[in-house]
Amino acid sequence: MTFSVLMQSIISGILVGGVYALIGIGLTIIFGVMRVINFAHGDIMMVGMYMTYFLFTLFGIDPFLSVLITMPLMFLFGALLQKVFINRILGTLPQNQILLTIGLGLIMSNTAMLAFTSDYKILTTSYSSSSFNIAGISISEPLLISFLITAAITVGLYWFLLKTDTGQAIRATAQDREAAQLMGINVKWMSILSFGIGSAMAGTAGALISPTYYIFPQVGSAFTLKAFVITVLGGMGSIVGATLGGIIIGLVESVAAVTISSDWKDVVVFSIFLLVLLVKPSGLMGKSRM
Amino acid sequence: MFRKIAAAALVVGLALPGVSQAAKVKIGFINTITGAEAPIGENLTNGVTMAIEDLKKKGIEVDLTKEDDTGKPEKSLAAFEKLATRDNVAGVVGPYTSACSSAVASQADKYKVPILIPAAAKEEITRKGYKYVFRLNAPADVYSSVLMDAVQTIDKPKTIAYIYESTDFGTSTVKTAKEYAKKLGIQEVADEKYQKGAPDFRSTLSKIKSKNPDLVFMVSYVVDAITLMRQSKEIGLTPKAFLGGGAGFTTAQFLAQKEISNLVMSSTQWTDDVNWPGAADFAKRYTAKYKKEPTYHAACAYEAMMIMAETASKNGGDRDKTRNALKSGQWNGIMGEVKFADYAGFTNQNNHPMLVQQVQGARYETIYPPKFATKKPVYPFKWK
Amino acid sequence: MIPTNPLHSQRGASAVQVSLGMAVIAALFAFPQFVESPYVLHMMILFFLSTLMGQSWNIIGGYTGQYSVGHAAYFGTGAYSTMILLTTKEIAPWYGMWVGIAASVVLALIIGSICFRLRGPYFVLASIAVAEIVRGTALNLTDLTKGAEGILLTDMPAFKIGQTVITDFSSKVPYYYIALVLALMIIAVTWLVQNSKLGYYFQAIREDQDAAHSLGINLTFWKNSALVISAAFTSLAGSFYAIFVKFIDPSTVLPLDLSVQIVLISIIGGIGTIFGPVIGSLVLVPLSEALRSNAIAQGLINSGLVSEESGIGIFLKEHLAHAHVLIYGILVVVVILFMPDGVLGYFRKMTAKKKRGEA
Repeated sequence: MTFSVLMQSIISGILVGGVYALIGIGLTIIFGVMRVINFAHGDIMMVGMYMTYFLFTLFGIDPFLSVLITMPLMFLFGALLQKVFINRILGTLPQNQILLTIGLGLIMSNTAMLAFTSDYKILTTSYSSSSFNIAGISISEPLLISFLITAAITVGLYWFLLKTDTGQAIRATAQDREAAQLMGINVKWMSILSFGIGSAMAGTAGALISPTYYIFPQVGSAFTLKAFVITVLGGMGSIVGATLGGIIIGLVESVAAVTISSDWKDVVVFSIFLLVLLVKPSGLMGKSRM
Repeated sequence: MFRKIAAAALVVGLALPGVSQAAKVKIGFINTITGAEAPIGENLTNGVTMAIEDLKKKGIEVDLTKEDDTGKPEKSLAAFEKLATRDNVAGVVGPYTSACSSAVASQADKYKVPILIPAAAKEEITRKGYKYVFRLNAPADVYSSVLMDAVQTIDKPKTIAYIYESTDFGTSTVKTAKEYAKKLGIQEVADEKYQKGAPDFRSTLSKIKSKNPDLVFMVSYVVDAITLMRQSKEIGLTPKAFLGGGAGFTTAQFLAQKEISNLVMSSTQWTDDVNWPGAADFAKRYTAKYKKEPTYHAACAYEAMMIMAETASKNGGDRDKTRNALKSGQWNGIMGEVKFADYAGFTNQNNHPMLVQQVQGARYETIYPPKFATKKPVYPFKWK
Repeated sequence: MIPTNPLHSQRGASAVQVSLGMAVIAALFAFPQFVESPYVLHMMILFFLSTLMGQSWNIIGGYTGQYSVGHAAYFGTGAYSTMILLTTKEIAPWYGMWVGIAASVVLALIIGSICFRLRGPYFVLASIAVAEIVRGTALNLTDLTKGAEGILLTDMPAFKIGQTVITDFSSKVPYYYIALVLALMIIAVTWLVQNSKLGYYFQAIREDQDAAHSLGINLTFWKNSALVISAAFTSLAGSFYAIFVKFIDPSTVLPLDLSVQIVLISIIGGIGTIFGPVIGSLVLVPLSEALRSNAIAQGLINSGLVSEESGIGIFLKEHLAHAHVLIYGILVVVVILFMPDGVLGYFRKMTAKKKRGEA
């Protein structure tokens, strides 16, 4: 294997990892505040993808620009899910929470199938396969743009959680739900907010990946699994961790494909996942929640 | 009106003596309507729906029982047993996936119900000597051999790289491709499997690029074909030919990606410009009805239903007679000449000639075999 | 916290219940004498299989409170062991299944020793990870498992005692009895567990791990015991599936979907109870079949409630089959929101309320 092949796989791994990170951040916020493992995360991402697709095909809005519309809409969607369904079962058995999100995921993907058929939708932009070259290494333009958007969103989110009152209230809820309640924080409202933010992140990730990927009702499940790996790797509840986790998984997948073999890529990823769970279940950034 | 009556009279005449009117013929159709395989399953449903309409025009009323197997073999078996014992169908078209077909085929002889598999590619299915199992489409080995044959007519390529999905379809197609390439003296320089639906192939593709192969053989059952080609262009992988085995490279969506689909060669069971009777007309009517172009699955399912329903109807819905008639019969429809023969270890397998098509000027043109070709192949490959 | 279910305290069953149970078992054994339809038998077999899978999970998930979402790993191990031995070494499945059980127990002990250090959601995720690793391995060890191509069984050996052929497995009936016996066996095992020291330890761990530990209960040992029992029977279910369906590949016997499905059986019925998984199977198997085969739409049309030619009739016929997973999803959500103790728990509560009302 030549040096340029390795460099190529490192660069594209990092760029793809950026989008993974965004999916992971969404999941980690939801887990951090509510301790609910959201099995519908990938399906929420799917909703964001369809939204992007229709904004593009019906109104001609560029997928990267449409993030401005997708993000608030997906926030509302997530907040609604939390208010109507998940808030009802907070504090009940953890397996019921898992199953509720599985059920919601099934409803989302199958409603999408009834509404849009199970056809694959392809979103083709003028730049879907354009790239530029630096020293023999090609860099995908859409991937680079989405990486930059992800970075901006992550920084913005971080600022929101650290500097604003609402953000601090969310963090307080994540650290100790009961104490936060005693301090007069409206915990249910914080849950709604964080599920909304989590969904907005997932939806945005869906929007960003749309120009280079494809869309169909069952697209979510693979990403749900990936999101789990990323969040655990980074430490459930840690945004910095999820960002790091996303990039690491992107890198591992990419580099494992050229150094080990592409067959065993997934086994490698899950083995790392398991190893982290065992050695450091709190993840890379586990101690500092959010 | 008169024509209808005449057609009806004809059917009555063909039916068993003593039957005063053409009874509806009961046919079962097992397909994957929900679940992960549903996107392709939908094409089969559409093809069958059109077949039922066309059969009606011919005076054959079909009482169709549709069964969803959700892509799971145990559900497919349940569906088959329901059709065989409760619905008392004369024959079954389907199932769609290879996994389901493998399970159902093993039971066909037990219930003595003829089944006609329209599109499952796994070779083993018709290699077990089942009497009641028929298959219309060409099995997995032909997907690769026909492509290499097509290239052999133009050039003597020396090296080949494989990149394929880690599914039954992907692995078995490439397995036969490797055997065939070895026979032709083409050297393998890369062998890369990928998980269906992966978003990033860049590192694998650049590894292949560093080996500089003459041919790149890709197998993608679904739209990964588009991701693969987009990223090949991105990293500048330019072999003498891109060979696409199977469905992902033969879809209208793939064709619509003009920047990346141009000059890609792919093997297919059917094209809309092939000179088989009714093929072009089928494509036209299908596109008008469903607002999208038919895939080969749709054509296979259509023809399978036509053959099964006509044969069953002619034989008064009798299973054994239908089976014998399938075995001895010959048809010539949108899938070309069909005959269920025993050859090279296969039983009741239609020796279907697969076609090679190439995207030229935003159209699929049939380029091989010569007797079905509409255009000459363009070689070597270059990016648009 | 899990609310204590009335059934837990119910140690001895009443004479009426015992005789009722006996009658049901007798009727199930006599069933194939009266019903010959292979389709009906097939559905019954799927029902028994579902009970077996759900109940096996119930022991680790329901009684011990360790929510494994990776049981497909044991199911697949059982299926593959049996199938590989049968197709390559011609070892009959009734011997091969023991190899499957042994392999699953070893796997369970490995998984247990790793994952039981984790709790709650971490354990759930670890169990998923392990199952995915097993799936990936089966997919890539092509020499052994034939990878994605799967294994197709053509010759099922006849079951003989001495020279007498007991059955050649040409009909559904032998499968029916095997599945029935397996289902009864797991119910009996669950009953034994529940009414023994074992069940006491398991439930103590479920209710409060730390309290159980402080009482001197060896957490790792008992959790592993529960997992071993659970894995062994799940593996049996896999072995049975393999010879019943005669085709296996990683995407049918090892996917995450299957793990989730196994969990659903118990939860919908009611976890931590003997009859929960039975009720769950009784709800899920017929429902999914009715939706799959579009029997509901057909029933509405046949009963004359909806005309076949009307818009609604056509819509139902065309779309209800497509909607079946959707309805499944809605069912899950409804059960979780309104019947958090499962169908069984819900009806118990209702009858308890009624009784209180009367008294």
